[in-house]
Amino acid sequence: MNRYHVLIVALSLLALCGCVSHPQTAEEFRKAVPAAFSAKVETFEVERPFGQVASTFQKMGPSCLSKTIKTTSQTTTSYQVIVTTYKPTVMVTGKKAELHHQQHHEQGVLSVSKESDGGYYLLVADAQPVTQTKTCIDLYRPSMGHSVLIQAVKNLASGENIGCPDLAK
Amino acid sequence: MSGPREVTRPATNRTVGILLGIGRVAPVVLSICAASLYAGCFGIKTYPNALDKNLHVHTSTDSGSWFSRVCAALDIHRVGENCVLDYVGTDQLADSKTDVGTPPNRWSYLVFVFDSSSFLANRSGTITSEMLLKPHTGSHYEIAVRYKDDMHHVKILEALPHQSAAREIEPLPLGTCQLSSGPK
Repeated sequence: MNRYHVLIVALSLLALCGCVSHPQTAEEFRKAVPAAFSAKVETFEVERPFGQVASTFQKMGPSCLSKTIKTTSQTTTSYQVIVTTYKPTVMVTGKKAELHHQQHHEQGVLSVSKESDGGYYLLVADAQPVTQTKTCIDLYRPSMGHSVLIQAVKNLASGENIGCPDLAK
Repeated sequence: MSGPREVTRPATNRTVGILLGIGRVAPVVLSICAASLYAGCFGIKTYPNALDKNLHVHTSTDSGSWFSRVCAALDIHRVGENCVLDYVGTDQLADSKTDVGTPPNRWSYLVFVFDSSSFLANRSGTITSEMLLKPHTGSHYEIAVRYKDDMHHVKILEALPHQSAAREIEPLPLGTCQLSSGPK
């Protein structure tokens, strides 16, 4: 492959990156997830009144998920430092509680497409009442990785083993 | 001349020589590694824990794997005028119970630090849990610090003087200081 071919490939990749667009709002994220390769929608019910779920989202979401994390990884040939800021947003109305979680890489990762304010959407959890004692959760989440975050959000919803996830994992 | 002698030295002797060399160097290398690991957990300014002990921190950490570890520590900051933070020092939460003295009737900013590292993946990360606290004179605070299954949780109970029962208090974010008239 000569320099000309390398240039063509590089330009093609750049053009492709320009075509890739990430959701800019939580609603766009919800619509994009079902068709996405590395994300999925998970729906489940918890034996908890909607009010309690919403209250836990409000109480624990901001304090647990609003973090800036620095991770370092090292091999014999590389040393990488990644700084990531996570931004949670909780919105509660009478019949719906939403938890949005966004991530923005401050250092160590190159953004190839436009980020929304606060960073790329990583997860959205929607809670809605089913009965007086049951709540339905729609979880729009990554299908690969981020298992600690996903489990933590499920725990916030169910009220069991509530804790803050180690987002460095 | 040493060069030819080394060339004609039997291979077994050379191996033994190398092993002896390693034997001499190994303790040094191991000491450096141990010191590095130790510094990873304990290489920070120690908190001058001289005041009456009013915080009783109960720590439980479990990395969940033999190939990784989690160290917990408590960074203590003084909160000054206009909520400016002044780092005082760090108390390592290496024991299951640690008693810490913070100034009563003054805001302190407590940062619980969880340092995790994986030996196999050569990866490390830090996550923190922060809170503002203004201990009342004579009050005692039982703080449960837990890290398990990649989750961390800090729970604080306040026992006021002359009261046997303790009550759980909500961790206050730093913004609380900025919203109030300022630290006293």
